[in-house]
Amino acid sequence: MPASLRADRRARLAAAMATEGIDVLVVAGNPWRSDYLRYAADLTPTEGQVFAFIERQGKVRVIAELPAEAARYYAEQKDIEVSWSLSPIEEAEAAIGSYGSKRLALAPLAAVPYRLATGPLASSMASATAMLDRLMLLKSPSEIDALRRAAALADEGYAVFREAARVGQPEYALVAEVEAFFRSRGCPENFQILASGGREVRGMHPPTERRLSPGDLVTTELTPCVDGYYAQICRTLAIGSPSDAQMRAFAPYDEALAAGIAAVRPGATAGEVARAQNEVFHRHGLGKYLSSEYTRVRGHGLGLYVDGRPAVLEDVDLVLEPEMVLVVHPNTYHPEVGYFVHGDSVRVSASGCEVLTRTPRQLFSVPGT
Amino acid sequence: MKADGLGAVLVYTSFARPSAVAWLTHFVPYWNEALLVVFPAGAPVLLAAFSRRMQDWIRSVSHVGEVQSVVQLGPAASAVLGERVSGSSRIGVVELDALPWRVAEPLSQSHATRLADVTALFTSIRQPADDTEIRLAQRTADIAVKALGSIPPGAARASQVLAAIERSARIEGAEEVLQRLVPDLAAGSTLQRIEGDRPLGGRYAVELSIAYKATWARVARCFSPSAPQSWQRAETWTSDWATRIAGAPVEPPPGEITFWSLEACIGSQPLSVVASATGPRGTVSAGTLASFSIKLHLPDGPWLGGGPVVVGGRQPGRLLVSPLRS
Repeated sequence: MPASLRADRRARLAAAMATEGIDVLVVAGNPWRSDYLRYAADLTPTEGQVFAFIERQGKVRVIAELPAEAARYYAEQKDIEVSWSLSPIEEAEAAIGSYGSKRLALAPLAAVPYRLATGPLASSMASATAMLDRLMLLKSPSEIDALRRAAALADEGYAVFREAARVGQPEYALVAEVEAFFRSRGCPENFQILASGGREVRGMHPPTERRLSPGDLVTTELTPCVDGYYAQICRTLAIGSPSDAQMRAFAPYDEALAAGIAAVRPGATAGEVARAQNEVFHRHGLGKYLSSEYTRVRGHGLGLYVDGRPAVLEDVDLVLEPEMVLVVHPNTYHPEVGYFVHGDSVRVSASGCEVLTRTPRQLFSVPGT
Repeated sequence: MKADGLGAVLVYTSFARPSAVAWLTHFVPYWNEALLVVFPAGAPVLLAAFSRRMQDWIRSVSHVGEVQSVVQLGPAASAVLGERVSGSSRIGVVELDALPWRVAEPLSQSHATRLADVTALFTSIRQPADDTEIRLAQRTADIAVKALGSIPPGAARASQVLAAIERSARIEGAEEVLQRLVPDLAAGSTLQRIEGDRPLGGRYAVELSIAYKATWARVARCFSPSAPQSWQRAETWTSDWATRIAGAPVEPPPGEITFWSLEACIGSQPLSVVASATGPRGTVSAGTLASFSIKLHLPDGPWLGGGPVVVGGRQPGRLLVSPLRS
């Protein structure tokens, strides 16, 4: 991560801690929920639990669960104090008690374990988590730059995916090519799910051994990480020339995506972005497929976590502000062709939004033989 | 469970902590989290924070009884326990201390006096590994060794190594691939997560951790254009040491042991330290499926090695990577 980005985040965090009256922020993390830890301490756990004690003046102490992780953190940041423990939660609990009269706070709610959550810092968790949520929601120029690069890499990754999608290839071979490509480009992580088939397909999942067949729709969302920041692309392709049904199905998704993107502007709510997409489906007689039985969200925030705030749903009233980044994706089941996905990453700009994804919005087609 | 008077046992799973539920059901969440409710008799219930439309996929990749799609695991678990477990029974939780607070809070409000940590109980039955798991670990190790063998000769950059390994491992069926590198052994010996790219030195090391059918193995190798004799001695000694890891090695090591560890799956983490140079030093049961890692400082520099092993007892253990060779 560029030194400027780290310095920028540290400064913003220190200012926020000062406003909240926090002397030491205790941040929990793990390989699934590492976003708060990445923001606060620039640590990316790949295994085990991690607890970082971040003092407002800059001193950082880290407790890891595995010795290799501890050694790695120290190699990455020589100015932090690192240890490992077979019982990191107990160690963290003892460390919390060692700060005397300093004011401590614990975050985030998503990753704090039971034992610490029932301890002396219990009452601080909600506000400390909210503080970090606010910091991570509005991106700095350095963060936006990382997200633009991640979006560009996602475009390239999808081109690799299309090249790999051929009749007879197992799903996992497509992912193998995409992951290898990302490693070749210095991108250490990618969240990707996919599906292939027809009307029987209800959603995406990790790759299976299923082999692509002529006539399949192949859906994927891939989410590479650059300097810790994830951008996402969602696209659907047909094996062979798309059928009439597949072409008909594409229309409402493309129209919904355009409507959703058009709704992204400062002052709009996440709910309005969802509604703009859903109205398209209602007009096409597909309103039934907007329920939780068929779909999850119409998009979500992007940043240090693949599925951040806000969830783009009609009942979410979070107001969009410049420099928020999200993916708009009207992904859902279509009764004629099965699950269909279509989505672009966007940045909320001063007057509207900047679309970060450059891959054409089309139903792609690859050779069917 | 019956012996301990447990009416149910709760086992949490997420991408970060998949292994306990994976061992019981083969289910691994690619996203979000789930809670398995195990009863003394009958099929378990999987409470999954996944849309109902994903239930077919969950069933296709795991062996569970009922699957409930829920928005919040804690209240859903409270409801299931309230319906199906007698009010006087204790409720065991594997790794209660580590249960995410969002899941634990509703449970602690409705069942606080009945919750009991049963981590030790789970650990006591988790190992030794059975033949099926050992065969899976052998396959996992084979995938790892093949992937390490796919590194292009003369690779000059970390990206070349990482890409080759990733492709090979995933084509062979690996679900998860975790790579750490020492780009230049002349500059240090700490395994690093590579973000961006780095040039490789004349000697470098790779640690590859792979999951195949939810079974994890770690393999470490050093690479150089010509295998130094010191490395060959290290490999031979380490292969022998790894099979005797429960006891003292026969020969002194060819260099200073900088660090060693033995990791096994004993809970929800894929690999947890069960013995190491700095502790713990207790006995590891014979038959435990584990991954060993060792770092030596040889006369001509650092060397790393590692691989999966079935820990021996009266008989030597068994390396699942043979030979341990760079």
